[in-house]
Amino acid sequence: MRTREIIAFFALIALILLAKYVLPHPMQFSPTLSLIIIILLSLTFIIIGVLTLQGKFVERRIVFIYVGAALTLPFFMQIELEVPISPEVQSAYDQIESLNPGSKILAAFDYDPPSAPELQPMADAFMKYCFHKGIKVIIMGLWPQGPQQAGQSVEAAFEDDPALRDKIRYGVDYVNLGFQSGNEFVILRMGESFKAMFPADIYGTPYDSIPILRNVKNYSNIDYCMNFSAGKPGTQEWVQGAVDRFGLKLSAGNTAVQAPMIYPYLQAGQLDGLMGGMAGAAEFEKLTGYKDKATTFIKSQSFAHIVVIVFIIIGNMAFLRGKTERKVK
Amino acid sequence: MSWEQTFGIWLAAAFTLGIVSFLYRDNIFYKVCEAIFVGSSAGYWFVTYFWDNLYRKFYLQAFDPVSPHIAPWVGFILGVLMLTRLFGAKIAWLSRWPLAFIIGATAGVYMMFYFVSNAMLQIGASIKPVFVGSFGDIVSNVLIAAGTFCGLVYFFFSKEHKGVFGGAARVGIWFLMVTFGASFGYTVMSRMSLMLGRLDFLFGDWLRLIS
Amino acid sequence: MKDYHRPQLLFQIFILPLVVILSLTSALTAQEQPVIPADSIIHIPAPTSNVVAVDYVYDRGETVELTWNLSPDDTIGGRIDGYELTRIEQSTGKMDTLEVIPAGISYYKDDKLTHGHKYAYLIRSVYFGAKSSPVSSNIITPSIEIINWRLANLFAIAFILCGSVIYFIAHAKKGKKLFIRKIAGLEAIDEAIGRATEMGRPILFVPGINDMDDVQTIAGITLLSRVAKVVADYDIRINMPVSRSLVMTTARETIKEAYIGAGRPDAYNDDMVRYITDEQFGYVAAVDGIMVRDKPATCFYLGAFFAESLILAETGNSIGAIQIAGTAQPAQLPFFVAACDYTLIGEELFAASAYLSNEPKQLGSLKGQDVGKFVAMIAIVIGVLIATLAELTGSSSLENLSEFMNRLFTIVS
Repeated sequence: MRTREIIAFFALIALILLAKYVLPHPMQFSPTLSLIIIILLSLTFIIIGVLTLQGKFVERRIVFIYVGAALTLPFFMQIELEVPISPEVQSAYDQIESLNPGSKILAAFDYDPPSAPELQPMADAFMKYCFHKGIKVIIMGLWPQGPQQAGQSVEAAFEDDPALRDKIRYGVDYVNLGFQSGNEFVILRMGESFKAMFPADIYGTPYDSIPILRNVKNYSNIDYCMNFSAGKPGTQEWVQGAVDRFGLKLSAGNTAVQAPMIYPYLQAGQLDGLMGGMAGAAEFEKLTGYKDKATTFIKSQSFAHIVVIVFIIIGNMAFLRGKTERKVK
Repeated sequence: MSWEQTFGIWLAAAFTLGIVSFLYRDNIFYKVCEAIFVGSSAGYWFVTYFWDNLYRKFYLQAFDPVSPHIAPWVGFILGVLMLTRLFGAKIAWLSRWPLAFIIGATAGVYMMFYFVSNAMLQIGASIKPVFVGSFGDIVSNVLIAAGTFCGLVYFFFSKEHKGVFGGAARVGIWFLMVTFGASFGYTVMSRMSLMLGRLDFLFGDWLRLIS
Repeated sequence: MKDYHRPQLLFQIFILPLVVILSLTSALTAQEQPVIPADSIIHIPAPTSNVVAVDYVYDRGETVELTWNLSPDDTIGGRIDGYELTRIEQSTGKMDTLEVIPAGISYYKDDKLTHGHKYAYLIRSVYFGAKSSPVSSNIITPSIEIINWRLANLFAIAFILCGSVIYFIAHAKKGKKLFIRKIAGLEAIDEAIGRATEMGRPILFVPGINDMDDVQTIAGITLLSRVAKVVADYDIRINMPVSRSLVMTTARETIKEAYIGAGRPDAYNDDMVRYITDEQFGYVAAVDGIMVRDKPATCFYLGAFFAESLILAETGNSIGAIQIAGTAQPAQLPFFVAACDYTLIGEELFAASAYLSNEPKQLGSLKGQDVGKFVAMIAIVIGVLIATLAELTGSSSLENLSEFMNRLFTIVS
């Protein structure tokens, strides 16, 4: 290892120790300090822009530092951002809001921990809303870790309102059927019989012994479906296999990578509502009234997006500058 | 917090920093973290597939003491035939049967899935009156109709892209590029969100600088 | 029917006074009792009428739909709780009480039947335990419908599409020429290989990370045969790391054939195609390493890619290679379009593969799909025109035509 790297390594260790044992916990910047930081960063953008126009291109890895700063610094800033509600998230919320207490909703958790930063906040808000409204939730997953993420949502709901622990009963108000492999074939088979795919719940309790599943044979016996999806199998398979084939009513929460591919289904009316990525999660949290991580993270997200936009502009300035120079030569 | 949780959090933080160090350049820490990730994920999926498929779907059903099923044996035999690929050209041809079964079954299911959901219903949704509603609705309807039509023109291979047809194809590629831009933007948002999740862990659970 | 009246009479003569006495007793003991309206004990709700059972069509003979007229007492504030449904299986006489449907609803779907058996239903109006006389439905036998005629439009369109594909494949097999326009990406491939030849640097070919069962990988291997031919002719080094063993075997055969065709079998080496690992990011890390060390002049990414697409394209960009990509993964196309010099978008990958290989199945499939696209284009143009005119003119015939067009592309589930 070179000297520079050894120094960097020990500097990192020192920073970690400083953060852990010296800095105040939790750490918060005052509004004045936050404003000063934002102004200073903006000035550096202007400097970089000017240098670029002069043909003095900066090291491209500086983008990593700026994105890192844009994502990290808002954690400590006391900023409130207004989250406008998009029609597709409003539509998803309206569908759930229209359900009566006692209605049964099938919640398909089709994601794993790597996608949790985007999907867990919307899943948490969904679960809290259903429990408070008295909507019964039937949980299942086409991804192995999906049901355990659902368990985290249930736990989050109980931590948010400890009174729910006594009020909400497993097997009566919600059930976790667990994971079943088979992807879209599971969806198709559930159209005839849930029990065929889930003979017991995640704890091994037989299907017929679970009160909430009494009279639930297939999709025609549930009132709505909510899907949280990070890829395949996911929303696309639910639309193709359950909505178009069995007439299931469905709204979905997707990672931002997947959302553009799902919009055609929303536009065609195959999907009632769609929550896309962190922004969709923040909007849903606002609508349900359970503001949590997504609402906090959206600040950092917004700043990071501004940084990306600025660097796209600077990058295009560099490109046009280079093109002009080549023409002159 | 128990010592196991504390150890776990520090380990997770070390792995996170090790992977992120690749942003600077490839190094030994990154290689170690990557190797551990690859190995543990392979092990995790092996265990998951063993218990969910071999045990739950095959063993419990085929050897059920009350009513053993025959159908899982078909899947088991096909799965064993798939392994013949490992044993040289003389018997490797047997793996074509399970492959044919998988391809045939999924082709049959997907054919109707994609034809109905991705083709027919999308065409139906594109057939809308354009000059109705507010100005925004009119613009939206025109864009949907024009974009769908011109996109189809771009991917039409039986005619040269010349004249009016070529013009429509050019409009189609513009629509495609705008879509790619939107998709790229969404993906940037997604990657930022994943990074936020890690930063929340580092600054929240590990360093406790945020509540 | 007399049998059904007897319980009512018993209730009125014997149970009624008992209930009155109990009510008084409970009042005296001051225990908490459910609030019963003063007149509920003697009020029996009016029965329903016109109970009709209809076989639910296009199912497996397990479902019957029941409709009835609401009871005259079923009004806002009316003295009725709901309707108790009872099913009678005619052959055995078995009676099952199904459920109590809330007041205001006059529909029920019973999906727990056996096809071929005869059933009848009884509906009683209920109000706080008091039940009306039952009203019987007709006897119904649920049946299986083998053909779901509601999907006739789907069948017709699928028939046209599949028929076209089969027709053109047969056409191509007879040796008849099928016109496919020139794919611009193919010229870019030739230019890219030429550049590598001039610079004397190797070519990197990445066929995606899926196995040979993915049509994108097959298309990538077909394009490899074109690249390999030029590579063999000009004696350029080709490097092809793969992540699937079957792809490795197929790729080796393809390149070997190219070298034999060029008359230079000795120049071929199995090490041109190397298996790395099945694991996605392990494979990408290895390919990145190859790119950084070998510094190929040209990189081809032709096949199925996922999250590794941008990593590959970025690394290729950083070493200054010319990059040609092609994939049908919609989520990865933006990255390739942004970072590569040329991208074969979606179906262009398959068209390029069909164009080069001249294989009847590939050509016929492509032409058949073009028929489908043509149908879609015509449907959109005509449909939008008719719908717009119908909306603007208000003409009923145009509205009917527009409705027909919409129904043609709608599935009733």
